Amino acid sequence: MNITIDSLTKRYNNKSVLDIPEMIFDEGCLWGILGPNGSGKTTLVRIVAGLLDSCSGSVLYQGDEYSDSIKKAMTLVFQRPYLIRSTVYENIAYPLRIRGVSEQEILARVNELIESFNIQSIRDQKAWTLSGGEAQKVALARAIVFKPRILILDEPTSNIDPESIMLLEEKILDYYRKEKPTILMVTHNIQQAKRLCNRIAFMNEGQIIDSGVPAEIFGSGAMPKIKEFIKKGLI
Amino acid sequence: MDNFVSGFQDAFQLIIDLDPEFFEIVRLSMVVSLTATFLAAIVAIPFGTWLGIKEFPGKRFLVRIIYTLMSMPPVVIGLVLFLLFLRNGPLGEFRLNFTATAMIIAQFVLVTPIITGVVFNGTKDRGPDIQDLARTMGSSPTQTVWLLIKELRINILSAVVTGYGRAMSEVGAVMVVGGNIKGHTRIMTTTIAMLRNMGEYSLAIATGIVLLLISFLINSLLYHWQQER
Amino acid sequence: MKLNKLNLLILLLVLALPFVTACSSNSEPAPAEEPAPVEEPAEEPAEEPEAVDDYEELMNTELILATTTSTENSGLLDFILPTFNEMFGIETKVVAVGTGAALQMGVDGEADVLLAHAKTQEEELVTNGDTLERFDVMYNDFIIVGPPSDPAGLLDNAPADVNAGYALIAENQAPFVSRGDNSGTHIKELSLWESSGVGTPSGDWYIEAGQGMGDVILMANEMEAYTMADRATYLSMKDDIDLEILLEGDETLFNQYGVMAVNPEKGDHINYPAAERFVDWILAPETQELISEFGVEEYGEPLFFPNAK
Repeated sequence: MNITIDSLTKRYNNKSVLDIPEMIFDEGCLWGILGPNGSGKTTLVRIVAGLLDSCSGSVLYQGDEYSDSIKKAMTLVFQRPYLIRSTVYENIAYPLRIRGVSEQEILARVNELIESFNIQSIRDQKAWTLSGGEAQKVALARAIVFKPRILILDEPTSNIDPESIMLLEEKILDYYRKEKPTILMVTHNIQQAKRLCNRIAFMNEGQIIDSGVPAEIFGSGAMPKIKEFIKKGLI
Repeated sequence: MDNFVSGFQDAFQLIIDLDPEFFEIVRLSMVVSLTATFLAAIVAIPFGTWLGIKEFPGKRFLVRIIYTLMSMPPVVIGLVLFLLFLRNGPLGEFRLNFTATAMIIAQFVLVTPIITGVVFNGTKDRGPDIQDLARTMGSSPTQTVWLLIKELRINILSAVVTGYGRAMSEVGAVMVVGGNIKGHTRIMTTTIAMLRNMGEYSLAIATGIVLLLISFLINSLLYHWQQER
Repeated sequence: MKLNKLNLLILLLVLALPFVTACSSNSEPAPAEEPAPVEEPAEEPAEEPEAVDDYEELMNTELILATTTSTENSGLLDFILPTFNEMFGIETKVVAVGTGAALQMGVDGEADVLLAHAKTQEEELVTNGDTLERFDVMYNDFIIVGPPSDPAGLLDNAPADVNAGYALIAENQAPFVSRGDNSGTHIKELSLWESSGVGTPSGDWYIEAGQGMGDVILMANEMEAYTMADRATYLSMKDDIDLEILLEGDETLFNQYGVMAVNPEKGDHINYPAAERFVDWILAPETQELISEFGVEEYGEPLFFPNAK
């Protein structure tokens, strides 16, 4: 599913935080959304995910407006995930439960993911006893267990241990290769974006100032502004 | 001091003797308060949850009214209901005054704002995160409400227990609408008020001690439950 | 909830409001009361010579009067007490509770003077040395009130015979609300069931309320039941209820009030001088006259009949 943005704006207290005249996130691409703090990355993905209303403009998903079926085919993984007050297993099973999947199939699919994420040891642990890295693994597993066509990740690897980051990146790529969804991944880490993404959208002050393949965005022909950000280590 | 010492002795005596009249009073206290709290919970939990997640004009005003009702003196509630229930009053035909039903209604009116307020407070803090999760998981509105209730169950339980405690300890409203009739509407708090008026201080203290013991048991259960989660 | 400074200020003001008004209401009446006693004693001593010596000492002291709810609820005390307070500059605090609790306050030394209507128990206090001598003050009478339909037929069959009346109520199992609170009225009622041959009443028709007279009358009114009430409380509520007097005038329904000063040996906190004044004052002819006037204007008949000897 591609995502088409048209004249999208968002203001807080009359201050513009987002202003995107036009943007298309191509279907089946893994987008890295970069930019300095406060550039509007999180606002953008929250609007796309249907968590936030825009002030004006539209977001279309393969030409259609946001609807229940879009909602069911899209998910967002938060920087600090909310895990429900239950076990790891139940957390990952939740999206399948509400879709009425049979208990047998839930067991198979959740266990398969638990194994592939290598979190068998915490399978029956309560969610509130997990470390940050463990919690984020559970959140990612829970997000992909129902095979969403649009996967949005809001800085999923900030403030967690390097080993967990490696595993999370691997699992994101695995899922991308296998299911070919559209992925939007907000990140601060330019190296991570280069490792994972095949498209980049660079944001500053509520606007997407450049977008395209990583080689164009970060290469020798990059915008002076972006070069400056990278040089100063602002992203 | 003698009253306290003999009060403790009498309390043990009351429990050991299994005095049928006294146990009928304890039983009715619990039946009335549990029923009122249960009915209040059915109304207040969805209402408080809804209030915690929904934005609408006039919400702040409504919240302020609920907070005010939370500290409404029971005797005022009792008086208003008593007047409504008078034989010649607007609801007179139901003949509710001096019945256990009237006491349940009075405690329901007392407890509903309390449970609503506490549930609202808990939902306001964590509700938005839970709602966001529900949306990213593709939950339907019903599934979202269900998830909210499940996730906030500790807070909801505290709200219900707070409400129950208030219902059990209240005397003003039930005295007015119930009338403290022996064997029909006499409960622990009205017994204490009556015994005090009769100068039977140690028996009054004894009843109070039993009331405290019941509260202690209920709170211990809650604490236990909260530990397990 | 975040409080900014303005909100906080308003909150503090609102919370402080009861104390502010409480202070002012405390301070206002005080000056208003004080001049009165100063003026009065100048005139009074001529009339009541024996009071002269204690005036200074009693001025502005507090007297705690424990009494039954009937005297306060009927309005009698509001009618007669100001005279006493003004005459001696004493502030009388009235604690109106059930007879049991009122007498218990005397035993505990929590009151200075008692005004109650349970002669046997009162005399026990005197015997035990809890109080000094007991004096008859006045009596009022009890009446049996009930719904106008009078299902037990008291008005037709026993308009002035309480034993027959109680028997009829029990026979017809007509609802009867009892005080059920061990009060003087309750004890009286139980003795009447006994003497009428019913014994200890029981059954669904016999409703034990455990509340004061006013509440019981309201309850009987709502339940269309009979009850035994003192005339004063009934008359004061008459306009708002349907209950009618169905039985009255039987001598056994008369209700004697007595006054007793609490034994000063209970401790220094007992204001015995004031209690002594109170006893003298309530038995004095002027006060007795005042008692017989109470209620005449409003109900056309006296509610209490003085009979001090």
